[in-house]
Amino acid sequence: MPAFPTLFAGTIWQTNFTVIATIFFTGLVMFILLRIAVARMDMRRPRGLQNLMEWAAEFTTNMARETMPTEQSVRFVLPLAFTMLLFLFIANWLGLIMTISVHFGVHAHVWGLKPSDLAGSNGDVELFDSPTSSMSMALGIAVMVWVISHARGLRHPKQWFKHFYSPSPLAVIEEITNPLTHGMRLYGNIFAGEALLGIMLKAPFAFHWLPWQLPLIVLWLLYSGFVATIQAYVFSILMCLYIGNKSFEGHANH
Amino acid sequence: MGGVFQLGTFIFSIISFLIVFFIIQRFAFRPLANMLEQRRKHVESQITDAEQSREEAAKLLSEQKRLLDEARKEAKNILDAARVRADEQAREIIQKAEEEVSRILEENRAAIARERDEALAAVTQRVAELTVELTSKLLRDHVTAEVHNEMVAEAEKRLGELVC
Repeated sequence: MPAFPTLFAGTIWQTNFTVIATIFFTGLVMFILLRIAVARMDMRRPRGLQNLMEWAAEFTTNMARETMPTEQSVRFVLPLAFTMLLFLFIANWLGLIMTISVHFGVHAHVWGLKPSDLAGSNGDVELFDSPTSSMSMALGIAVMVWVISHARGLRHPKQWFKHFYSPSPLAVIEEITNPLTHGMRLYGNIFAGEALLGIMLKAPFAFHWLPWQLPLIVLWLLYSGFVATIQAYVFSILMCLYIGNKSFEGHANH
Repeated sequence: MGGVFQLGTFIFSIISFLIVFFIIQRFAFRPLANMLEQRRKHVESQITDAEQSREEAAKLLSEQKRLLDEARKEAKNILDAARVRADEQAREIIQKAEEEVSRILEENRAAIARERDEALAAVTQRVAELTVELTSKLLRDHVTAEVHNEMVAEAEKRLGELVC
């Protein structure tokens, strides 16, 4: 179990600084990509990165249209869905491209880490990884989606109250399980991929020279890349679905 | 990166994500969406324009066709009228010519008849005179005035019969 630079250590507000930093790093990568695409934007002759971003926007729009009841809700969720899809895609891939761990001595002074913490991680302090491989972060995004969906549902309070018991009162259970599974699914997939990669990378060579795990690592990297892409899509489409379920303004499309 | 739930990480993750989201939304997604919307409108207006101009072209074409038909009909009418007039004129001319011919013929005939009569009268006169002269020369001594007159009348009568 590696340690992380920590803010507000020892209080209830203890914060994993690596997660926050990588969230902003992901945002920065995304911002640069989009700005390059947008800067050379041409309505008549799209090219290069602009094509890719237009495709992503188109893809998001179709995804939202398929899962949401009204065009109004699609327009509402479109910026969020686009950002979420691209953000999670980049975030999930970050940990596959590289993770950075720094080895410190047990008595080194690292942000918010006590010597006992450093001892527990053999002095390894992780500085760079997928932010989505943190359970707190994945759950946080999922709960944020849950809050947004209910805030939108509360614009029509009567229908919002009704939908808790109308088809069956079991819907109340869903209000707890949905955000939980939503976040845990993302965290589990990404964390498992990176954990197994880390273990295989640290495994000793056979006879001290034969890198037997190399084909397995390549295979697992490909699979993890696939999973990272799919999970970004799954998380975004579920977000559209949850917010769509709470959009009560007329079910015109379906 | 951590299977332990930390409330601080949880809350600051949400805040960080929201910050990232608003920045992306404001400075990157909005221009992209605006551009897509603009393109959609552009394409729509182009299609509308194309439809409109096609309609207009069809209208102009039918108008041209109508005008052409009209012109053709008019030309035909003019041609027909001209033909009728020409026919009439021709008939008139022919009629006039016939009348002229008959008139001239009539005149000539009359003139011929008159001249023949005049000539005949002159000839008869002359013959009568000659005959009388001759007869009087021949019969100067043998014939009385009475007989002489009788013979002259006889001769004139006979000559008239001969001529006529």
